[in-house]
Amino acid sequence: MLRFLVRRSLGAIVILLLISAFTFFLFFAAPRDPALLACGRNCGPDALAIIHKNMGLDQPVPVQYWHFMAGIFTGRDFAQGPCPAPCFGYSFATGDAVWNTIVDRFPITLSLTIGAAAVFLFVGLATGMLAAWKQGTLLDKLFSSASLVLSSMQIYFIGPIVLTLLVYNTNLLGQPKYVPITEDPVGWFMGLLIPWCVLSIIFTAQYTRMARSAMIEQLQEEHVRTARAKGMSAATVFFRYAWRGSLIPIVTIFGIDLGTLFGGAMITEVTFALPGLGTLSIESVLRTDLPTVMGVMLFAATFIILFNIIVDAAYALIDPRVRLA
Amino acid sequence: MRRAQAAIVALTAGALALTACSSGAKQGAADDQSRKDAEKMRGQIAFADAAASKGPAAPIPGATPGGTIKVYQRDTYAHLDPAQLYVSDQGSLSTLLFRRLTAFNLDNKGKYNVVGDLATDSGQKSDGGKTWTYKLKDGVKFEDGKPITSTDLRHTFERQFADFITSGPTYVQRWLADSNSTAGYRKLLPGGPYGGKHLPKSVLDTPDDKTIVFHFKKPVGDLPYALALAGYGVVEKAKDTKEKYDKAPVASGPYKIQPGSFKNGKGITLVKNTQWDPNTDISRHQYADKFDIQFSVSYIDSTQRLMADNTDNQTAISFNNQVDAASLQRVANDPKIKARSTSGYQPYVGVMNFNMRRLKDKRIREAIAYAMPIQSVLDAYGTPGGGELAGSYISPTLTGYKNIDPYGKLKNPLGDVAKAKAILKKAGKLGMKLTYAHNTAVEPLKYSVAVADNLKKAGFDVQNKELPSDTYYDIIGKTDNQFDVYPSAWGADWPSALTVLPPVYDGRQIQDGGTNYALYNSPETNKEIDRISQETDPKKAAADWFTLGEKILKDDLPQIPTFYYKQVQLHGSKIGGAVNNNILSAIDPTKLYVKK
Repeated sequence: MLRFLVRRSLGAIVILLLISAFTFFLFFAAPRDPALLACGRNCGPDALAIIHKNMGLDQPVPVQYWHFMAGIFTGRDFAQGPCPAPCFGYSFATGDAVWNTIVDRFPITLSLTIGAAAVFLFVGLATGMLAAWKQGTLLDKLFSSASLVLSSMQIYFIGPIVLTLLVYNTNLLGQPKYVPITEDPVGWFMGLLIPWCVLSIIFTAQYTRMARSAMIEQLQEEHVRTARAKGMSAATVFFRYAWRGSLIPIVTIFGIDLGTLFGGAMITEVTFALPGLGTLSIESVLRTDLPTVMGVMLFAATFIILFNIIVDAAYALIDPRVRLA
Repeated sequence: MRRAQAAIVALTAGALALTACSSGAKQGAADDQSRKDAEKMRGQIAFADAAASKGPAAPIPGATPGGTIKVYQRDTYAHLDPAQLYVSDQGSLSTLLFRRLTAFNLDNKGKYNVVGDLATDSGQKSDGGKTWTYKLKDGVKFEDGKPITSTDLRHTFERQFADFITSGPTYVQRWLADSNSTAGYRKLLPGGPYGGKHLPKSVLDTPDDKTIVFHFKKPVGDLPYALALAGYGVVEKAKDTKEKYDKAPVASGPYKIQPGSFKNGKGITLVKNTQWDPNTDISRHQYADKFDIQFSVSYIDSTQRLMADNTDNQTAISFNNQVDAASLQRVANDPKIKARSTSGYQPYVGVMNFNMRRLKDKRIREAIAYAMPIQSVLDAYGTPGGGELAGSYISPTLTGYKNIDPYGKLKNPLGDVAKAKAILKKAGKLGMKLTYAHNTAVEPLKYSVAVADNLKKAGFDVQNKELPSDTYYDIIGKTDNQFDVYPSAWGADWPSALTVLPPVYDGRQIQDGGTNYALYNSPETNKEIDRISQETDPKKAAADWFTLGEKILKDDLPQIPTFYYKQVQLHGSKIGGAVNNNILSAIDPTKLYVKK
């Protein structure tokens, strides 16, 4: 296990370095000058030169990259104040310390993704299993066709419809908002309920279909048949033998889906005006705000890679046949 | 002005003509109200004397104190340091937070004037407009209780020369330094006042604690307007932390920032500034206890919330979010929602540029102008309420505006293709290649089909070039751009064409990244710009600017106007005092109160 973790961590560092270099140099390949946004009106080359200097853009790009990456580990000093490690610099657009902004926004995205994952895993697996259990019945057909319809939906389509129906027209639920769980757990839950459900809809449908087919496959396995032949109850066979086996492909897909989930969170945050990392990443790209783009990109990538390692490690716990060497 | 990126502080006021040719679409009640309001203020904006600058402001009928107003805003305020404020959302915020030497005042009758804000009056000029003197009012204080003195005002203007101040207006600095360059004025006080250096007395003098004297090399007529810009809000010298001041500025207006409440992308809370004395302020009120401002709320989202008018949204408003284009029709047709709307002009005039370096024959430009379907352009911005067809380069909100239509565009807004074709044929240019460029934002994509279609019918071989929205102005701002026709918009910083004609039509300002997008250079126009810029009689200057604008349009035709931008905004049913302020081109935040 330890060797596995060391190997995967080293791989993760290489991936993160590649992502950082790719993002940084790609930014400068675009024909957009971040100084223009800070330049106000009647912006001439002389005015731009001053802003380039303020932003450190007057130095060669590789030097800027080196300073940026070194700053993450050693910290840097800026005119706006000292920036202790991990330092991603100060935002070009707002002058805020990027790390502070990320730390401030992360709980929103985390709440959104964890909640949505809980919803789609629970609902998706439950309906998938039920469909497998009642294979060929009306219930199975209903779940299967509903999942097909829902998986073709989009967040930006469903979101406003749900808002109009449940919030604006009927007042059944309040305006989606983020309240820290530490301040008001009920407010946190109620504020995120609609975003969770909307974000999870597309995933729920996929997981229903996946859980159904994995379960059906498992129910036809020999060890399940043996268990049945041994006279075990249907429930024991279903949950103890088949269910556990069916989780393997689902956990694999879940690991891959984390990136997609983050992408979905981005759209969900914009749809419901939740100021998480997704909204931040869109804002920073639109404002050509390099330090924030880099910060969010590296933070999200680290998070996704970390979760993938955890998911891989989790195989061993779910299926004793898997050995991490 | 980069409309998509940085809508410059919306400073408009003045006249509005009831053009017979408006879009042809139904005008809503809110729209009618905006016309009536504008009618009242038609004509010259007065520079107020001491009597007209004395506080307090007349109470808003029915207004009661207390309550919290929720404010939905799309964008986080990029800056809070007054010297960095320029764009329109910052302009609205700064009205509540920071006082300046002068201010635009909208009274309860809908009349605008420039009053003394920190100063006792709008300014005393002497020496033919080269010297302007301001005296500070008694009892004006910062939020920490310290009195505002001429030392703070001197510092406020001197720090504008520091290299870290890059986003605010540069008018006063350039006039003081007598420099036209976008950064050359900084040489007058390199690095600002932080090394203990000051501007010489011959430039900026503060003979006592209450007096500030500006000395310019050339006559300046528009100083009272310029000093009212958000960017010239007062900064407390003792609390100036340079770059860090952007995160913790000291307020002087009726509200202050609740410490620690500003969160990028999330929001900011404003609470009452107890040191603000209403008796010193003619242009602001302090009714609500608190403004709870939430960022990252899109136009569509704020429109939905305010149309619903449920729960919290009843006491909600947006300072700067407009009704999204797709909802304009519903707002106009639903009397309940319409009653909670305000509307007015923005300072922008949309135009189609003709690249003067490529389209040298005026007949070609005329043919394009006649063919241009300006109605289709306007319709893309939403009706009713998205704008009004334009006949002039100068907005109806600027003093001196007259309704003109030299190319008959208002009578034939869908374009006169037959006439265009006849002109082109006469010029022997039928079938000539024409590159029409536009950006890929929703609106240009909508109207460009009609534009290209009309140009084709008029006999041009049209090449359509779609440019990315975020770099659009950078691309068309290149002096060697390879396009013939391309749209842009420009707006005034204050209700005088001094902030329109020089930046857009002065040929000596042509440079990469410049704002003379048509690359128009006429020595005669340049000379006239210099002459009118020094005119200190506002009435005469306004008339002369308009004459010049009309002459450029008729004789040289570097652009054809398309429409004057307008906006519609909504507010909750328990919000009182919501009126459109044409200077802010948004709801006036200083008049708002929560209905009991």
